[in-house]
Amino acid sequence: MFENIVSALDLLFQPVRLLALFVGMLAGMIFGMLPGLGGVAAVSILLPFIYLMDGYAGLAMLLGAISVIYTADTITSVLLGAPGSPASAPTAIEGHALAKQGKASLALGVGFLASMVGGLFGALILSVAIPVAGPLVLALGTPELFMFALVGLCFAASMVGKDLAVGLAAACFGILLGVVGAAPAAANYRFIFGQSYLMDGLSLPIVALGLFAVAELIGMVAAGGGIAGKPTPLGKWSDSFCEFWRHRWLVCRASVIGIFGGFVPAVGASASTWIAYGHALSSTKDKRNFGKGEIRGVASAEGANNATIISDLVPTMLFSVPGGPAAAIFLGALFSFGFYPGPRMVSESPDLMYMIVWSVALASVLGAAICFAVTPYIARLTRVNFALIAAPLLLIMVAGAYQGTRTFGDILALLALGILGWLMKNAGVPRAPVLVGFVLATPMEQYFWLTTQIHGFTWLTRPGVLIIASLIVIPLVLNVVRRLRQRWSAGHDEPQPQTAADGGEIASHDSSVVLVMVLLMVAVFGYALVEMLGFRPNARLMPSLGIVPGLLLSLYLLGRQLVRMRRQGAVANLASRKELPVLGGILLYGIAMWLIGFNLATPLLLAWLLIGCARMRWNSALLYGLAVYAVAQGMFAMMRSTPPQGVLLNLPMPW
Amino acid sequence: MTIPETPLKSITAAALVAAGGLAVAPAMAEEYYAGKSIEMVVPFGEGGAAYVAAKFLEPFLEEHLPGNPQVNVNTRPGGGSILGANWFEQNAEPDGETILFTTSSTSNPFVLGMEAVEYDLAAMRPAFSLPFGAVIYVSPSTGIETPADLHSPNMPLIYGGIAAAASDLPVLLAFELLELDLQTVLGFDGRGPARLAFERGETNIDFQFTPAYMSQVVDMVEAGSAVPIMSGGAVGDDGTLSARDPAFPDYPSVYEVYEELNGEAPSGVEWDAFQAIGATTFNFGLTAYLPKGTPDEVMEVFEEAIAAINDDPDYQSKSEEAVGGYDLLPASTVADALGASLQPSDDVRDYLRDLLSNKYDVEL
Repeated sequence: MFENIVSALDLLFQPVRLLALFVGMLAGMIFGMLPGLGGVAAVSILLPFIYLMDGYAGLAMLLGAISVIYTADTITSVLLGAPGSPASAPTAIEGHALAKQGKASLALGVGFLASMVGGLFGALILSVAIPVAGPLVLALGTPELFMFALVGLCFAASMVGKDLAVGLAAACFGILLGVVGAAPAAANYRFIFGQSYLMDGLSLPIVALGLFAVAELIGMVAAGGGIAGKPTPLGKWSDSFCEFWRHRWLVCRASVIGIFGGFVPAVGASASTWIAYGHALSSTKDKRNFGKGEIRGVASAEGANNATIISDLVPTMLFSVPGGPAAAIFLGALFSFGFYPGPRMVSESPDLMYMIVWSVALASVLGAAICFAVTPYIARLTRVNFALIAAPLLLIMVAGAYQGTRTFGDILALLALGILGWLMKNAGVPRAPVLVGFVLATPMEQYFWLTTQIHGFTWLTRPGVLIIASLIVIPLVLNVVRRLRQRWSAGHDEPQPQTAADGGEIASHDSSVVLVMVLLMVAVFGYALVEMLGFRPNARLMPSLGIVPGLLLSLYLLGRQLVRMRRQGAVANLASRKELPVLGGILLYGIAMWLIGFNLATPLLLAWLLIGCARMRWNSALLYGLAVYAVAQGMFAMMRSTPPQGVLLNLPMPW
Repeated sequence: MTIPETPLKSITAAALVAAGGLAVAPAMAEEYYAGKSIEMVVPFGEGGAAYVAAKFLEPFLEEHLPGNPQVNVNTRPGGGSILGANWFEQNAEPDGETILFTTSSTSNPFVLGMEAVEYDLAAMRPAFSLPFGAVIYVSPSTGIETPADLHSPNMPLIYGGIAAAASDLPVLLAFELLELDLQTVLGFDGRGPARLAFERGETNIDFQFTPAYMSQVVDMVEAGSAVPIMSGGAVGDDGTLSARDPAFPDYPSVYEVYEELNGEAPSGVEWDAFQAIGATTFNFGLTAYLPKGTPDEVMEVFEEAIAAINDDPDYQSKSEEAVGGYDLLPASTVADALGASLQPSDDVRDYLRDLLSNKYDVEL
């Protein structure tokens, strides 16, 4: 084995392969940093290029990208508050809150270091566990997978914030979004409105892009000026090393949780990150800072998500069943190079195995180092007028979304979800629970039906199920015990921290947007309920879990909002009015794209953003606009697709 | 287990006939694709079996098509392959520069006349097919060692699948034909997760297509944790799915198993249905379709290129490991039989629709 480890290093340390690894890392870092785009986009952009190289170099390139995605997206999550993926949502929430307090460097530093440790743990597990991980993966049956998704959802509930009713309604809405498409247990398409686009359900990158990135973009273009209203000082890195060292064991435990999540095909990074976050929450005595900038939240989430994306490769290489979407593309690449994953690959090509381990380890360490190095420059970008950054960013999002199915439905879904995200943001409805509900609805429903069909009710007594369930139960019990003990020792006038669900947050938001949002939710849940009654029995359970509580909660919120508005006297408060033109502009861009195609609509958008919003001078706007346009076209060319075409008119491209 | 390099007799015969026909035609298409490129549309995501096969064929097509076009494999996933196929129907020009490369996941909804289908596969012109054989195997704990034991397992048989109207259909029809008593659990993400459930002992009867069988199940068979029972079969001289799969000459076909269990050759609507769906799934499993109205010139170009790829020793050695070592079937072999399978009789169609809606609760 030892000689394989060394010879694998030999394999990797050839100029071309190292270069490929770096190119992959670069792509991974850039895509990690672009809000909403993540592993899948980076790996699929690289995919056409890997075939220009030999197998080892091609795979090294993909691995470089996979290993740094969750390291680099810490930067955007912290500085912009827009997570690259559901697995980074905790970082966005806690880290961005820290950045607002002027502690950006602390959040970033701990995030990078935790990501690095997660990556190294992942590499270690790949090298040690692959020869023996088979039985472990096989021990995780459908009941365990179901339980794992359930635990993820429970811990995600800890993210719903202070206003419980709003947070839970958001999670219910996420479940509703997640059940669009084919039902797993009955031949029933749900909420597809006769559109074949919706048959496979909404795609995760588009939901994440729409809810977070588009919505943030609208707000920031409208606000004018830079990303961070006032220059945000980064602070000193040294604090972050100390803080990281203080929480080293939490990071290690989070990495282990992340690794476990990687072993579980299809549930993956989203669930394990939330479980790790929940673990941080339950293992912290003073919970008051959670949601308001708690470094332990960042440390646990970053440790877990990087470990997961790497240990996703374990089921990929052992059983050729990929653990996540990036791993699925990696699997395709392995096949294309003539490597056939399976137990045999481990014994037949140990060099390849260890080359993979080395690539991952090297990229994890270098990725963290590069992130430390580039962050000061990126932080400077946050002071540039945002409209200038918004132009390329929006085009990248359109290109990224369009990769989904390459139909106009992708653009439409992106914009519709963008409006929804904007409404939620201005109404103070947390978006992270929507994303988690969306991600976990599918595996939960699927594994529930598979479990009950295969095992009946005996599944409840399986040891694996009990162990995973204990992840929920034990912290809960400990919490109750601790609280009882506190109350017993401190008397009965102990104030109750952090559970004050008085909904103070929602009142401070734009009350008319809140009203629109709540009315919209009542309408959507009400309509969904009627539609759901027509489904086949086996297709009804999961939607009803989202719809019934969602409808009740949104009715309650509607009543509460009406009472509150009457009490405050003000009928309408249109604080977000100044964002409406930007929202309208982006909507118009979508309509223009539909009518006259991407190639003609985009120059109009650029003119509006650069001259109208950013007030650039004509000649510099022309120059910059051309450059951005060329880059966007280059992205489409790189992904080997043609940009969306118009139904009325279409500008043919010279190439 | 060894994989023979000899192709199907019938295919060789057909290819010879075709080659004979071509030899008389003038060599008009010498450099047809010079300076052009081909977009190969795969209506599934990256990493799936169809994608892997397309990537595998890409360099061989580039090398052997006249004029050496650049072949770009483009994935257009969504709607269980229906979205990509609909896109192809609406956008592809009949100039041979856009190919739809797909599986029975696309043809089954077409055969069943499902609502979302906008494409007319029967009107398209198949350029070539790559067989996509399948082996049905059981867990040793069922006590089944030979097909004869199928009716007397030690324990209830549980089969894990994806969806009745998709790629599980031919196997479900085989179970129907053989009147097996088993529990069907549908809703898995793919054949990979279904195989994992078999390995975990949650299900005990499963099938895999050739590429996955080669890379994953063969080891299990050697280790004694899986027992192969039968293959889906291949289209034989009689034009039906009665021959053994050339990649698995040791395993009886569903046809033979029926004969063994019942003492007579299968017939009737159950057999016709299995035969129609099974042929498109296994024999013409991965088919490259050209749009309706593609000129004969293009068809001839492909006919020659496919013959050349089959003769390429590099293809022969690499295809064994990657896609089961089958020869590519040229259009002359594929067109008629595939056309017949895509347009089964009303009886067969009614039987399929009844079975799916009554037994598997599929909305059509």
